[in-house]
Amino acid sequence: MANELKFLVVDDFSTMRRIIRNLLKEIGYAEADEAEDGVNALHKLRNSGFDFVVSDINMPNMNGFQLLHEIKKDDKLKHIPVLMVTAEARKEDIVLAAQQGAAGYIVKPFTKATLEDKVNLILTKLGLK
Amino acid sequence: MSDNAATTPETQTPGNLSHDVHQRIGVLTRQLHDALNGLGLAEKVKTWAGELPDAKSRLSYIARLTGEAAEKVLNNVDQAKLHHDHITKETRRIGALIAQDPVAAVAKGHVMNFINDVEEASQEIDKNLTDIMMAQDFHDLTGQVIAKVVGLAANIEEQLVQLLIVTAPSDAQGNRIAPESVSAVQPPVADVIQSVLAGPAVNPEGNPEVVKSQSEVDDLLASLGF
Repeated sequence: MANELKFLVVDDFSTMRRIIRNLLKEIGYAEADEAEDGVNALHKLRNSGFDFVVSDINMPNMNGFQLLHEIKKDDKLKHIPVLMVTAEARKEDIVLAAQQGAAGYIVKPFTKATLEDKVNLILTKLGLK
Repeated sequence: MSDNAATTPETQTPGNLSHDVHQRIGVLTRQLHDALNGLGLAEKVKTWAGELPDAKSRLSYIARLTGEAAEKVLNNVDQAKLHHDHITKETRRIGALIAQDPVAAVAKGHVMNFINDVEEASQEIDKNLTDIMMAQDFHDLTGQVIAKVVGLAANIEEQLVQLLIVTAPSDAQGNRIAPESVSAVQPPVADVIQSVLAGPAVNPEGNPEVVKSQSEVDDLLASLGF
């Protein structure tokens, strides 16, 4: 069941992590954990089962691109879809994210409808919904 | 500036005082010029000059975003309060009708209408609460912009402190007198977030390098086959 999928929300701002978790809950995905940067996210991903990653890009220690790269080169993690939710609005960043294997890209500020659309689209493509 | 003893205030005339001040300013200007060039700061000063308007527009962006967020929160609170007041009044009214004649209150549809009202108002209030929550995204966006401006300020401060050290006057033994608390004002540059990422697009209009909306992101990804 799609509603039982476990999400990992990665963002260095606690406010944004909370917003995204609340929105995921509102759109039917109550199972979510959070990480404040790529390092912490990678640790959690390797030690617990997650089905979906929602990640910021501009973060300390390990940014979203580095996290995406680490996920996609790890055989045990590379199947997990990664949706980038970021303030980075440069076209080159969007292209880079797509080339590195991001499943979607949302530019902040965003709406609940945008998050819902993108998450559902990705899950439908993957046959998880 | 070595003729202080010859031109004490008691022996100075307005004419030679003016000449002395001009001479000192000239020496200081030359020292500043040499120090800037010696430290390779001349180019950096040009860069600062370019970055300061950027810092100004970033600060304006923060002011705009926080203002919009506050406005959005207050508007949603106003709307939620209207829905809440409506439900409060309706609850009192339906309570009185039930107390008066419970059977008639149900039979005439007053109770059902009230239930529908409560459901509609709850949905509206829920939307208001979601919008209030979403308005808090300014914290993330302005935080990133503030980090950039702090980085710029720290950089300028560091260079100014270096300049201060180089241009500090000498004591009787020819040693440079360190300006007070120079070490205390040395900025912790290593701690400053100096990201190579651009952060929020402060002035997206007219910049072809950045997207201005989510639909532009979707179009770009679609053109890449996503």
